[in-house]
Amino acid sequence: MSLFLQIIANGILLGGLYALMALGLALVWGVLNIVNLAHGAFIMLGAYVAFYLFTLLHLDPFAALPLCMASLFVFGYCLQRYVLNLIVRAPMFNTLLITFGFDVVLTYLAQITFSADFRVVNPSYAGANFTLFGVTLPLVRVLAFAMALALTLAVWLILARTPVGRAVRACAQNLLAARLYGVDPRTVYGLTFGLGAALAGAAGDLYAVVSQINPYIGDPLTAKSFAISIIGGLENPLGVVVGGLFLGILESLTSLYVGSTYTDVVSFGVLVLVLIARPQGLLGKTT
Amino acid sequence: MKRAIAWLALSATVVMLPLVPWIAPPALIQFGTTTLLIATLAQAWNIIGGYTGYASFGNSVFYGIGGYGTAIAMVQFDLPFGVGILLGGALAVLFALLLGLPVLRLRGHYFAIATLALAEAMAGVVSNLDIAGRNIGLILPLRKDDVLFYELSLALLALATLIVYWISRSRFGFGLIAIREDEDAAAVMGVNTTLFKSLAFMLAGFLSALAGGVHAYWITFIDPVSAFDITLNVMMIIMAIFGGAGTVLGPLVGAVLLASISEVLATEISAMASLFFGLVIVVAVIFMPRGLADLARRFRSLGWRYFRENLRLHRL
Repeated sequence: MSLFLQIIANGILLGGLYALMALGLALVWGVLNIVNLAHGAFIMLGAYVAFYLFTLLHLDPFAALPLCMASLFVFGYCLQRYVLNLIVRAPMFNTLLITFGFDVVLTYLAQITFSADFRVVNPSYAGANFTLFGVTLPLVRVLAFAMALALTLAVWLILARTPVGRAVRACAQNLLAARLYGVDPRTVYGLTFGLGAALAGAAGDLYAVVSQINPYIGDPLTAKSFAISIIGGLENPLGVVVGGLFLGILESLTSLYVGSTYTDVVSFGVLVLVLIARPQGLLGKTT
Repeated sequence: MKRAIAWLALSATVVMLPLVPWIAPPALIQFGTTTLLIATLAQAWNIIGGYTGYASFGNSVFYGIGGYGTAIAMVQFDLPFGVGILLGGALAVLFALLLGLPVLRLRGHYFAIATLALAEAMAGVVSNLDIAGRNIGLILPLRKDDVLFYELSLALLALATLIVYWISRSRFGFGLIAIREDEDAAAVMGVNTTLFKSLAFMLAGFLSALAGGVHAYWITFIDPVSAFDITLNVMMIIMAIFGGAGTVLGPLVGAVLLASISEVLATEISAMASLFFGLVIVVAVIFMPRGLADLARRFRSLGWRYFRENLRLHRL
């Protein structure tokens, strides 16, 4: 029983991070109708920012979180404002393809500049853990989980309560009407994509704390983020949290009861099944 | 007159290509074989992605199945190569049929990502199968005959191109194009969309699997990572798009051009070739989203305005 609880706890902690990863992808997809296949590469970049801040400046990865987010925000904003805005009205396949191109470019630039070696961010408290109801919880994972949830909540508040959030939602609902009301979609698209990238940066920072990083971690993370967005639906950031927890717990259970080599088979299998059965997401509205 | 010259050049190339191994150095024959195989993949993708408009991001799954079908038949059951490759092709067709039925109901992003996920899941399944050598892979019997593999690849590409040529002027092909342009309208006009899409997917799968089988026997080794390589999808898609998806010769031109350039770059740093592919995707999508075929057709009348027109059409 305690083993089962431990597995569930591991899954929940993993799932919080997954939710943060998927949030940026779901936001960009919902508002801009771009499935950003370079999202995982952004996460990878965030992880390297955290790694270099830690190794060169000895900056604690949790303190580096705002810096990771800021640098990725600027990067994402410029990418959308000056490149992606050029093709945003092209058929969906073209936008999918161009982000695929970004993914390849970023991955191999990272390989050339950072080398393909595995890197770890290893703060002094990395091994610390505490026990709760007979379940061992690693400190960094709990902290990462809390950060991920806090950021998700913050994004939800920004979208729901601030003028910028309203402009973003207006563009998602009806671009023409938003324009007539004085919203400049070029800036709003830039801000949205920047926010998506910033969330990827935050996820990368936290990922670097709980796992090893190399230039190739991006692609599976993109696929997982996509799976979570599909499971949770795009309407509501809280759906992403449910999707993330679902995938995290599912992967933990799979690695215990079926074997760790099957986790990818199960998560991608579930993705395909959900796509076929309910393309609007498990929690999405039926239209 | 110009047309006659073009036809002459084309037929001269077709006659020359099989003779290349007798005059070229071994390195060139190997490069040629690789290029012909990837061109076959691009041409196969052209059937489902270019003509039918279903942007599969997981065609490498067929390539992997073809390779593994051949390898398993030859290594585990001591069957000859000819039987093995047909077995691989049959497996791919079966896979395309069974998974195509549910997956081809999805459109746009959903279809693209579902195929990508299938390729990932398949790599996971194969690396857990004993008969496929798990993570380690299989070693095929050695056959050191580069000329044979070159001619096999060439024949495969010729077959794929003939099929695409037939598609471009047959009733079946017009049905596929109708699906690409407007699937609901095509269904209303009496095109059996499910049947047509499945057939296109199966054809693409079959040709990709044959390429995978030839490649596995040529390299004499297969493992899950290389067999279901995601970058292979990038290459075949970008080659088809760059040359002109939905045209007969576009994917061939795209494949030969890009493969040659990346071969030159890879001699310096291997990561440079992949980097180059990424940059080509970005630039091509922005400035010439309909590929070289469209550029060649319209550049003469529009000149440099062609690129500006493309930009104006799609930007915010």
